[in-house]
Amino acid sequence: MKILRWLLLAALCSSTMLMVGADDENSRFEKAGGKLQCMCGCNQKLLICNHVGCQVSPAMIRDLKATVQTKSNDEEVLDWFRQNYGVTAVILPSTHGFELTAWVVPPLILAGAIGVMVLVIFAWQKKGPAQAAAMTKVAVDPHMQALRSRARRETEEI
Amino acid sequence: MPLLGSFCLLFSLALALYCFGAGVLSLLRRTPATARLGETSRRAGLACFIALCGAGFALVYAALTNDFSVDYIHAHTNRALPLAYKISALWSGQEGSLLFWSLLLACYGFVLRLRHHVDRRLYAHASVILAGIQVFFLLVVNISANPFGVLDHMPRDGNGLNPLLQYPEMVIHPPMLYLGYVGLSVPFAFALGALIMKYPGEKWIHITRRWTMVAWLFLTCGVFLGAHWAYSVLGWGGYWAWDPVENASLLPWLTCTAFLHSVMMQEKRGMMKMWNVWLIFVTFLLTILGDFLTRSGIVASVHAFAQSNIGAWFIWMMGLTLIVCFFFFFKNQDHLRSENQLESLVSRESSFMFNNVLLLAAAFFVLWGTLFPVITEWVKGHKISVGIPFFNYICLPIGLALLLLTGVGPLLAWRRTSWASVQKNFLVPAVLAVLVLVGLLAIGVRATDFAHTMALLAAPLSMLVGGTILLEFIRGGRVLQPKLQTNMFSAMVHLTHRNTRRYGGYIAHLGVALVVIGLAGAAFDQENEQPLRVGEKMQIGKYTLVSQDETQDDNANHTSYSAALEVQKGGKKIGNLYPEIRLFKASEQPDHIVAIRSNIKEDLYVIYAGRSDDNVPVIKAFIKPMVSWLWVGVLLVIAGTLVALVPNAAQLKSLVPVPVTVPATASASAFQKQMQPVGAGK
Repeated sequence: MKILRWLLLAALCSSTMLMVGADDENSRFEKAGGKLQCMCGCNQKLLICNHVGCQVSPAMIRDLKATVQTKSNDEEVLDWFRQNYGVTAVILPSTHGFELTAWVVPPLILAGAIGVMVLVIFAWQKKGPAQAAAMTKVAVDPHMQALRSRARRETEEI
Repeated sequence: MPLLGSFCLLFSLALALYCFGAGVLSLLRRTPATARLGETSRRAGLACFIALCGAGFALVYAALTNDFSVDYIHAHTNRALPLAYKISALWSGQEGSLLFWSLLLACYGFVLRLRHHVDRRLYAHASVILAGIQVFFLLVVNISANPFGVLDHMPRDGNGLNPLLQYPEMVIHPPMLYLGYVGLSVPFAFALGALIMKYPGEKWIHITRRWTMVAWLFLTCGVFLGAHWAYSVLGWGGYWAWDPVENASLLPWLTCTAFLHSVMMQEKRGMMKMWNVWLIFVTFLLTILGDFLTRSGIVASVHAFAQSNIGAWFIWMMGLTLIVCFFFFFKNQDHLRSENQLESLVSRESSFMFNNVLLLAAAFFVLWGTLFPVITEWVKGHKISVGIPFFNYICLPIGLALLLLTGVGPLLAWRRTSWASVQKNFLVPAVLAVLVLVGLLAIGVRATDFAHTMALLAAPLSMLVGGTILLEFIRGGRVLQPKLQTNMFSAMVHLTHRNTRRYGGYIAHLGVALVVIGLAGAAFDQENEQPLRVGEKMQIGKYTLVSQDETQDDNANHTSYSAALEVQKGGKKIGNLYPEIRLFKASEQPDHIVAIRSNIKEDLYVIYAGRSDDNVPVIKAFIKPMVSWLWVGVLLVIAGTLVALVPNAAQLKSLVPVPVTVPATASASAFQKQMQPVGAGK
């Protein structure tokens, strides 16, 4: 138990250290660039569009460098691209309006599913002893017992 | 040949219809006459496979003999195409791939019908359901997507195969994927058949499990080959782009994985019967949905077949399947009542339930992200793009939670586990995991963004899984070693052979842990791109690439440009790389031949990106850490699944049999102890 507590403490310390690290302008460029696609029709991420001679990606990359410097956060940068290159330029749903549902629904569904499951397990746990008693009553019936054994024997042989 | 192919297709449709109709009639009444009718139905199913082989042969023969009067052959092959790719034309287009799907379905049906002696009544039900599915696909192929349509003239040459498909893995990847997709129809047929006939006991689950594992294995191989092909050919440095068609293959894989786990609860405790039946139904429906997404043109994808009007067929099929499933479920749901219920939150059963919820949540999220552009179009009138970052944000945390369960699950006993036991078993793997985390922090890895945070969490969790599995093998080996009087390794091999399913599963889990480490490496990618004249150098990480030569080659199929690069590390030559780009003449499309130098730590990934405005080769290089762990991990998953498919060895016989009379109260506790995993609670 003591060792486990020490482990927990070490994990906590580590997670605090995990927070260390800050964004610079270059990483903002990389991050925002990873959320944009080249609009030449190749369907690739803007920064990995890999065909030389593409007329679109160099201009988009220039615009990205400029907007990263002028806009204060990534969402504003992405909105700029939505307005100037069309909504499909950004490969992430927006965090406002109808597109917000893309972000909200998954965690809600997951939380709901886990919640329902935990409730079901607790309900089963409460019902458990009563059901076990009922099952024991059935189990002592010799005729049923014989049938069960036969069914088990016959179904175990594939 | 086109005439023969068309005839074979029509004939196989007639046979499938007979197999279905006669099969239904024979199942409705049980008389000697209907039994004979059932046998004719079975034989019609067998003959359907032979007829479809004829159709498949006719199409391949047309490809091999350059019969460009067949529209499909004209569209997907040309004279200069190598032999293997001409054969692969069978599945490289819409119509051919549907014929191939039908052929594989008939092949599964053929094997199933030959094995009818295992359980005649259950197999008869499954055969009829498979025939129903067969009828659907043959109707589509005969009416809407006939591959034997002929042109009114004979072109001199064909359009050629898509250059991206002209790669050895592409000859194997689609058949593997299709074997997986189509194979999932078999467990569906058994599940629905067992529900319709209220099959007693769990034998159908035993029968289905093997078929499901085989289909799952093919699907896993198919997904793996697809990812490896994307990495080796597409030249963007990645292996998974969350493309709608890629997602379509992942969806049934996720639900099928959930089924393979939850089915153990039904086998061991008689629980989750309704859940399992629906998992199979949903898995089958997702394979049809995958077909719909790939073939209807509803979502934009580089992998999708050309937009066509056959999407409606698949909507009808999904609707009809849902109605049939719901009808028999509500009619016979009493048959699916659980024999036991979950007794504790801390138990193997609950870990399987959480595992299932997470896998299904992942499947839902992938589906949600895939269909969200379509939903937005319905609601707002315009499509949006949903790409890699969105799927990473919503799916990676789920993946890590699943990894945690993979590590913790084996430590839990069936029915209930004491916290003391969990803590005791958890200690060593947890210490190893924390050490990995601290080690990563010590070498300067920080959670500067989402990808790095996920990578930092993935490594210790993978260690947790690895530690847990290793301990399970060691504990089991220690128990067997003195009995067998052998070394530890042999004891572990024997242990695996005694319970192939359990230890095969552990090997597969170990593979998953390696896959996750490989995926986590992507957070630390580096890249550089520059024009490179002969004699010039470029730097990427610790590597220096020196251009030695550039060449141009030309053949009937394509023109290629390649560069000869010397790879140096620390000023010393360590090898050469030859990235290449091919320009295919028939399709006028480019294709990259990526040059990769791989080791356990990282891949040096170099592509010939093209030529700059002043006609200089442009080289793009990446350093991709830990990628080889990903491929090794998948191979381990495949190996683990193969081990799990091997039957168990005979149990070791004790040298001196000891008859034991156990009082009633003691037997219950002994049973509970028997259900504990090796080492648990000790």
